[in-house]
Amino acid sequence: MNQNPQSSEGRNDDDSALSDFLASLMDYTPTIPDELVEHYLAKSGFQCPDVRLTRLVAVATQKFVAEVAGDALQHCKARQATIPKDKRDKQQKDKRLVLTMEDLSKALREYGVNLKHQEYFADSPSTGMDPATREE
Amino acid sequence: MSNGGGKTGRQLEQPGTWRRRKVGGGDDYARAIAKIAVAQVCEGEGFQAFQQSALEALSDVVVRYILNVGKSAHCHANLSGRTECNAFDVIQGLEDMGSVQGFAGAADVDHCLESSGVIREIVHFVNDAEPVMFAHPIPRFPVVKERVPNPSFLQKGEEPPGEHIPAWLPAFPDPQTYSQSPAVNGRGTEPRAVKFDQERESGKGEWPALNLQQQMVSNMFEKSASIDPADAKAKRVAAEGNPFLAAPLKIEDKEVASVPPPAKLFNDEALDNPVVENLVENEPISALETFAPAIEAMKSTICDSKEDQTKFCANEKPTVRFKIGIKNKLLGKSIGLIPQKEEHEKTLPWFAMEDEKDDRKRRAEKILRESLENPDQLVQL
Repeated sequence: MNQNPQSSEGRNDDDSALSDFLASLMDYTPTIPDELVEHYLAKSGFQCPDVRLTRLVAVATQKFVAEVAGDALQHCKARQATIPKDKRDKQQKDKRLVLTMEDLSKALREYGVNLKHQEYFADSPSTGMDPATREE
Repeated sequence: MSNGGGKTGRQLEQPGTWRRRKVGGGDDYARAIAKIAVAQVCEGEGFQAFQQSALEALSDVVVRYILNVGKSAHCHANLSGRTECNAFDVIQGLEDMGSVQGFAGAADVDHCLESSGVIREIVHFVNDAEPVMFAHPIPRFPVVKERVPNPSFLQKGEEPPGEHIPAWLPAFPDPQTYSQSPAVNGRGTEPRAVKFDQERESGKGEWPALNLQQQMVSNMFEKSASIDPADAKAKRVAAEGNPFLAAPLKIEDKEVASVPPPAKLFNDEALDNPVVENLVENEPISALETFAPAIEAMKSTICDSKEDQTKFCANEKPTVRFKIGIKNKLLGKSIGLIPQKEEHEKTLPWFAMEDEKDDRKRRAEKILRESLENPDQLVQL
């Protein structure tokens, strides 16, 4: 089986691109810390002394969270847009984007995660706010 | 479908009894870090606030994502006959996690892992997104102390003592630690037992225990023979010449101290007796002082019975026997320190005198009540 010279050149390019990318990950600091990723990877049986692979998993996880959060944000904005006018005037005063279980479950459903939450669970919608601005 | 106007789940339970169900066990620290990281990412995406349950759910999903990527990469490494994972195992793990949603080039079975669609998406994400560092500096966890093994014969540069011992095994400790052990001497007996034998031969071992027992017995006798401070006070007052406060006589003695007649009946004698004069004119006597002799008499009978019990103990010297054993911790065993006598049993017991005491108490209380009801009669006395 003879390989085409073009395919071998392409593979060399891909190989160099991958190694360059892994090297560039050392300059990029993801939000998810390496210690956390190392802890859970070690818990799963993953053994590798290379820090670049840990950083790769951290970046991939951050990308996953960012995509889920972006989808949930779109659901939140769409839900706020469909509110009737009489209620919309009340919400103009407090137009905050809150990550709720409803939006999160819709966003995660697209990624194959079925998130169940209690229908009448009393959760505080002001979690994460500055205590001075809370109205409870 | 409504909840019937009832209270919500958290309000129904008692305050302080609600406990969050732990998913991962003792992993609270790592989950708290994951929650902060997820909150930072969501804040970067545009969220301004979070529901607590939503934040916990998303952080739990993130933790499971990392675990599943690690498991998948580890599985692919094992399938390739390796224990350590490399970049290709991680890429395959990421492809497995993204296979639900799909990625570019997933349809190609023989696609190259280096040019995988997952990697391309990550590259785009890294180029577009601004790096946001974690809010707090965190140490490496969990903290595991590295065990320092004992150096082998090769590392020490020594030769094993026997040919059957390979050089890569850890070397023996210093001979001083195991060759001269103080626990066993030449005869094979314990040094503690030898000490006891020597003490028994010389007779030194018996004296401290004997002295201890003698001190205990003498202390008992001293306590029983010691004079009550109340009796001493009564004797001192009697010596001063007050017949009312004199110590009462014992039960065997039938003589009664002569009491001077009242001042009301004999005014002449009242002048002669200064004690009665003081009692009548200057200070009215209290009821307790009036019945003090009766109370003292009751006390003295009790003390007498106790003294009778301890008299024979002081006369006889108790025999003390010792049995010194090697293995027993107790060196001495005292036998018959207080011998049981028949005379001891004949003494009047405490509960036999209760009837007499009750009668006396009733009379005393009756007189007290009468004296308190009409104190004029007391002054006349």
